[in-house]
Order: sequence, then C-alpha cells, then structure tokens
Amino acid sequence: MKAGKTLVGVLVVAVLLFPLYWMVNASFQPSGALLKPSPDWFPVAGTLDGYRKALGTQGGHLLSSVLIALGTVVVSLIIAAPASYALAQLKVRGATSIVFALLIVQMIPGIVMANSLYTVFGNLGLIDSYLGLVLADSTATIPFAVLLLRAFMVSVPRELSEASRVDGAGHWRTFFSIILPISRNALVTAGLFSFLFAWADFLFAVTLTTGQSFQPITVGIYRFVGNQSADWNGVMATAVLASVPAAVLLVIAQRFVVAGLTSGAVKD
Amino acid sequence: MTLTAGRVSPGRRRTGYAGFAFLAPVLLYVVVFFGYPLVANLVMSAQDYTVRSFYTGQAPFVGLANYAAVLANPLFTTAVLNTVLFTVGSIVFQFGIGLALAVFFSGRFLGSATLRSLLLLPWLLPLVVSGAVWRWMFDQDHGVLNALLRLVGAPVPWLTSTTWALPAVIITNIWIGVPFNLVVLHGGLRAIPATLYEAAELDGAGAWQRFRHITWPLLRPVTGIVLMLGLVYTIKVFDVIMVVTGGGPANSTQTLTTWSYALSFRDFAFGQGAAVGNLLILVATGFGLLYLRSLRSTLAEAAS
Amino acid sequence: MSTTKRGWTLSATALLALAMTGCSPAPAPGGGTGEAATTITELDYYADAQGSEAWQKILDACSRQTGVKIERQAIPAAQMLPKVLQGASSKTLPHLLFTDNPTLQQVAATGALTPLTDYGIATDGYYDSIVKAGTYQDKVYGLAPGVNGLALMYNKDLLTAAGVQPPTTWEELKVAATKLSGNGKYGLAFSALPSEEGTWQFLPFFWSNGADLAHLDSAKSVEALKYVTELVNAGAASKSVVNWSQNDVADQFVAGNAAMMVNGSWNLARLDAETSLKYGVVPIPVPQKGGKPTVALGGEVGAIPATGGPTQQAAGKVLACVLAEPTMLEWSKAHAYVPSKVDVAKKFGEQNPPMKAFVEEVETARSRTAELGEKYPKVSAALAAAIQSSLTGQQPAEQALAQAQQASGS
Repeated sequence: MKAGKTLVGVLVVAVLLFPLYWMVNASFQPSGALLKPSPDWFPVAGTLDGYRKALGTQGGHLLSSVLIALGTVVVSLIIAAPASYALAQLKVRGATSIVFALLIVQMIPGIVMANSLYTVFGNLGLIDSYLGLVLADSTATIPFAVLLLRAFMVSVPRELSEASRVDGAGHWRTFFSIILPISRNALVTAGLFSFLFAWADFLFAVTLTTGQSFQPITVGIYRFVGNQSADWNGVMATAVLASVPAAVLLVIAQRFVVAGLTSGAVKD
Repeated sequence: MTLTAGRVSPGRRRTGYAGFAFLAPVLLYVVVFFGYPLVANLVMSAQDYTVRSFYTGQAPFVGLANYAAVLANPLFTTAVLNTVLFTVGSIVFQFGIGLALAVFFSGRFLGSATLRSLLLLPWLLPLVVSGAVWRWMFDQDHGVLNALLRLVGAPVPWLTSTTWALPAVIITNIWIGVPFNLVVLHGGLRAIPATLYEAAELDGAGAWQRFRHITWPLLRPVTGIVLMLGLVYTIKVFDVIMVVTGGGPANSTQTLTTWSYALSFRDFAFGQGAAVGNLLILVATGFGLLYLRSLRSTLAEAAS
Repeated sequence: MSTTKRGWTLSATALLALAMTGCSPAPAPGGGTGEAATTITELDYYADAQGSEAWQKILDACSRQTGVKIERQAIPAAQMLPKVLQGASSKTLPHLLFTDNPTLQQVAATGALTPLTDYGIATDGYYDSIVKAGTYQDKVYGLAPGVNGLALMYNKDLLTAAGVQPPTTWEELKVAATKLSGNGKYGLAFSALPSEEGTWQFLPFFWSNGADLAHLDSAKSVEALKYVTELVNAGAASKSVVNWSQNDVADQFVAGNAAMMVNGSWNLARLDAETSLKYGVVPIPVPQKGGKPTVALGGEVGAIPATGGPTQQAAGKVLACVLAEPTMLEWSKAHAYVPSKVDVAKKFGEQNPPMKAFVEEVETARSRTAELGEKYPKVSAALAAAIQSSLTGQQPAEQALAQAQQASGS
C-alpha cells in the first residue's frame, strides 16, 4: 500500500517535472538535432555547444541579473525591516491602514507601473540603469517583505523590546540588537523571495532597458527566443543557467521557501 | 501620507515620533513608486501621448478619447474574453490539481516530503524560463508534444492556430501555478486535526465522505484565500503569454495586460495603453477588495 | 533625537540615489563650446556578430578619415525607436543615427532630425526610391550607403532531385512548393510575424500584384493575401510561418526543412558558411509572366539628430564619409547589401553573381513610407494583423483586409 503510493508519487512528479527534463535534454543536444522530425529522448550525442553559446552571449546578462537581484534584496530589506518593526511592535496610529495599503498596492498590475515609470525614468535618465531597475523591482518585493516581516515580528513578545527600552536602549538600538537578530529567519525568507522575484522579473526588465548597456537574463532569453528559435539548444542552456538560483535555493533553503510561500496565504 | 505625521501631537508618547521615523522610508517609497505612477497613468490616459510627445514634451489633453478608442477597437472584446478565459481556466485547474495532489501527499509515505518539495520547482523558476520551455515543447513541427501526439493520432497546431494558442498558454500557466496551490492547501490540510478523521473512520465514513464532510468544510478559509490570490495574480500575467505566443497568432492570446503593453511599447500609443491599464486596475482591485474583506477580521485583530 | 535623524538618513539616501543617476549617464551634447568637438556618439542596430563587425570596420575607417572619434552603441532593432524616443525626451540623442526607413520617418516626424542639406550632402546618383525613403515632408533627412531587399533563395540539390526549376511566376511557385513538400518538409518558408517583419515579407507579393497601402481592402490586395494563404493551406508552407522570424526561416532553410525561402541578402554570408548547402537566388516570383517584382527597400539610413553645437557638423562629416562611393562598395561587399547609387550598384552586381537578383530588384523596389510617410507603421501593423488572421483561418482574406483598412484609417 505505502510502496504503491510512493510509486504513484514518483510518477506524478516525473510527469510534472518532465518539462524540466526536456529543457536539460535539449540544452545538451547539438542544435541541428533539434530540428529533426522526431526528437531524441536522451542527449546521447551530447554536446556542451549550447552552454558555450549561452555563456558567450548571455553570460553578461546573468551577471547583470545577479547585481539587480542583490540590489533589490538590499533596498527591500532596508526599507521593509524598520517599517515592519514599527507596524508590529510600536503603537503607531494608522497601522491597519498602512497594512491595507500595502496589500492593495500588490494588486496593481505591473504593466500600469511600467507604463508610467517608463516616461518618468526617461526624463530622469533612469532607463538602462541598474538603480532604476532595482527601484522598480522593489515595487513587488517591498510590500511583500513588509507584510511577511510584520507577521513574524507581531509574534515577538512585546515585553522583550519593552524590557530593552526600560534598560535605556532607544528604539533603534532595540531594533538592531533585539528585533533584527530574533527575526533572522524571517529576514532570510524575505530576502530570498526578493532575490527570486528580481531575478525572474521580465516586465520591468523589458520595458525599462533598451539593451544598450546591459540586459537582465530574462530579457536575454526572450530576445534569444525571438531572434533565433532554431538555436533551441542555446536557449535551453541559458534557461538551465537561469534556473540555477531557484534550484539551489530549493535545496539549501527549502524551509524558508515554504515559509514565505505560505505566509501570504495562511493566517499568522 | 503627511496625515500620519500630522497626527503625532506633542502630547503623544515618544513612540509616535519613532514610529514615524521607522515608517518614513516605506511611506516615501509607496508614494513615489505606487502613488505617483497611478496618478501619472490616469493623467496619461487622458492625453494624446505619441511619438512626438517624447521630443516636444507635450501631449494634448483629449479627455476620454483614449477610452473611446480602446472600447471601439475590435481587440477590446477579444482581450477581455481572453483575460476571463485565461484567468478562469488557469485557476480552476491549478486549484483542482493542486488540491488533488495536496490530499495525495498529505498521506504519509516513503519520500512524500521530498517528492512534494521537488514539485515546488516549476513555481520557483523564472516565468520566462518556463515559457521558453513550453514554447519549445509546443512547437508545431519539432515539439515533443506533437511528437507524442503523432504516435496516437494527429498533431495539434498549438501555437499556430487561433483556437489552440489560448489553451496552450493556459496549460503553461496551470503547470506554473499548481505548486503554489499544492503547498498552501497542504499547509491547510495539516492544520486539520487527525482525530477528526479517526473518529469519522470509526463511524464508518469512506474516503469520499471524509473529504466531503471534514476536509472540504475545514479547508474553506484557506481555499478562499488561495483562489483570491490566484485570481489577483493570474489577471495580470504577462511574462508567460509574451514568451509563449507574444499575444498571437492573430491576437488570439492577447489579454488586457499584453494588449496594454502592445499599445504602449509597440505602437507607442501610451495614452491608450494607459487607458487599458486603468481598466485592468479596476478589475484587479475589484477582486482585491473581495480578498481583503476575507482577510479583514484577521488583520484588524493582528494589527491592533 | 538621534533616532529621528537616522530615519531621515534612510529616506534621504534613497532620494540621493535617485538624484545621482538622474544626471550621470548623459553624454553632454555639444561637447566643448567654441572649438570643434571631436567625439560623437553613434547608434545603430547591427547587434549580430557578423553585421556588427562589418559595420565597426566602416566606422573605424571613417573615423580615421575625418579625425572624428566615434563612440558606437548597438541595440536590438526592436529597441531602436524606444531608445531614440527616450533619448529625445531626456535630451540625450546620439549625434549620428542609423536606422530603418519606417523608423526614420517616425523620428523625423518628432522634429528631432536635421535635413542633410545642412551638411552639404547631395542626393545625385542615388536610386530615386532610396532618396524617397529618407525624405520627410520634402526634406531629405537620411540616406543609406547600401540597401537590401527580399529574393527567393532555393536549395539547388532539393530542386534538382524533384526535377523543379526555380519558379518565376506565382503559379510556378505554387506548383514547385507543393511538389517539394511532404514528409514534414515544406517547399517554401517565409515569415508572417504580426509585426513589421511580416508586412515586409508580404509586400513583394502585395505590390507586385498592383495593390497599394492606401487601399488595403482592394481586390488586388485580397488576391495577394489569398495567394499566400493558399500556399499555407495547401501545405506548401508550414503553418508555423505565423511564428517564424526571418532568422527562423533561414534556420529552416539551412536545416533542409524548407526547399525555398523568401529572405534578404544579409543571409548570404551565413548560407555561404554552410559548405554542404548549394543554393541559388532568383527574384521574387511575380503574378504574371514577364512582370517585374516590386519589393520593399530595406537597409539602414544615416541621419543626424538636432543635438546642437559643432558635433552636428562632425557627425555630418562622418556621414558624408560613410556615403562616399568607396565606403559604399566596402559595406555592400561586407554585408551583402546593394550600393544605393545606380552606377556603383551595377558594377557591384557584375562582380558578385549571387547579388545580381538583388541589384535587379532594387531598380523597381519601393520605399515603404513613400505613400504614407510617418503613418506607415500604423498601416503596417494593421496589414500584419490581417495576414495573421487570414493565414490562421480566423477570417477570410477579404474580411481581414477590410478590418485592416478600417483600423489603419482611424
């Protein structure tokens, strides 16, 4: 019975993850082989050509995306952590309205922001700039980070911070020496999700960069697909490389991922 | 947002000032990066913002002309219909499959936790990557799906036919969304006390009856939230459609989001693009408010 | 007290960061005042390796010749107009711009360009159609060193094996393509993307049949679209043409999946690199025997935005050098383009047999914006949508084109 369930489970996973296998398989095939009438199910005539192409043409884009993602993590946490502390631990009037506002702004479709940010950024010279993209990507990560961190910090007993303040520590010292260390896990989760979001962002990347000075990897793949879709092995090799952060995170930080995923939906 | 500052009367405790200092960055950010774009978009939708506007910096005020043009465009109906079909189709299947898998994986068996976490992968990948992979699998002549379909019958013109392209992007989006539904619903299932099931089993309830009378009602709150979140996020999906079909062929997969993009960034009719964007906001916030109502009570008590 | 201060510092940092990049990237237009500026910025879309290298050589040569330093920027073609528009709004336009004919008209319409007469660049000796491509409201704003167009390229081995002659008329093309199809292979490949690329590929059929862009719903236009639709419906071309870019088309041709393709001269270098592939080039087949095909003119025109100051004159010198006959010939050889002056082109065609078909076509080629000017992109978008609609069977050709005519008129 139980072994049977495991077998079914393995089958389900195999079917659902087949596209990923197919991506890896295609990434190792020579590009001509991909245009044959019937596909090769295994990369028997395996080649690293695709990866050579991917690194050659998209390597810089991967690096750009790393910079943007790290920048977004930093900006998001710097802005979100103090706000969460105030919302969770300090008696701030209007806290509920602020939380509502943050929930609401998450609903705003990105295309609307892109539309107006494009014209504003054009005037400010922020098109094609890392800072511009980091600030734009943060629109998706900051509300999420605040809500997630606040949910965690609410559960930190107030006596803890109050005791610290009685000892003469100011709000900022309490924040830095008590709250932040306690919230380490929540901060990691918020940081991880900020990284993943910025890494995967396509909408802002495609509207707010022209490809002149740098291109995030998502745009790189999009233009790669659009320009030479017969180079599927190169596209798929790039896709594999672009999936690496997600895969790594899943392996080393799974509990944070699940924590972040459920925090938005399941009550604190 | 100055209201918040204004409320801090001199009589209030120090906390008021400190609270504001802690909140200032986020408030400033919200005003600049959410408030301003929303207003700018409203203004732009009432302007004839064209290629020339970029050089001269001038865009004449045209009132509701952009909205009129958008509504009169035959693409409007297509885009609305596609948005509805895409959203409903995605959510129904994401939820259905996610729930089935959640129930399946809630049974403890060898490797269930590992397998479940492997299933997270599609959700963590950049959407552009998933889109590219599916686009390749959907390829008319060289795609793996048609290679399989040729074994059992006729291949399907996934991305080259106006009838199949929308199902193709919906399938892609379902695949992406199943893990999210699975994990959240699984969390909800775990919260249901096992004793209830044991008691029901003693009373002779079968698997279906246990699902129907215990699982389903007790899962309701989580279900509501998952569906609402799904709705809000699916309505504005952009990446998947752009990579898989680009809105084509013959606009058969154009949704309000991709259409707004095409109007602004392909045709440089930013006024009309903004108008479509604002219509999209109306729809999204409509659903958003519903979602918030379902959250309101929990939040109010948490925030107090 | 210190607590409040720190809060301010945080938000101030964000502001500062915003402000800083606000002024950093713009290269000061005009350069030094008074003395002649010696560095100019140039923008083009030769982003692929081969084209980029060839173009860089041209710029290097002209830089040496004129003593003007050129800072080159290359971006993807689709990003050209957004980039220029963004440059226009932030006053950071490049000093010298190379872009395609429809984009030039759009940019000229914003008022951002200067007429070439300001720099003493004359239009004598150019093909008329090429001068027209760079003319906006009676002033010439751009000229191209070389142009390209579409022709029919065919796989010699596949045609010989099937006993098929390179087609010259629509009827012959249909028969040949049908005969060459089957077993997952197709007789013909072309691109019908819902963008300028799709329109550009359809125009040779459209114009050669006597249709014109002001009347998309004319009988001649419907006939042309029906013809192309039938090729797809009959299985002589893949249904995937609606998703293929011209690069995809070339890939299919190189892989041997398509026996013939409609494509541009810029592909010749790539085809030459495939040693096992033997190919020939003929003009695009015409509706009736003995007719001449009317293809659309492609290629990039050089233009000088109004950036003010002496750099404008320096850019003018560089453009004059790029348009000089030796450079023209050099560029045409390197990138398989047709020189835009009549005499140079004729000589060039005699020296390069695969280019002969293209040189022949340029004589009768038409600039896409000749009839419509800056309105072309809108009409082109409507036409491309109609092509997709008809090819996918969503609407019959008549209905699709009627709708396109309506959309392009509004």
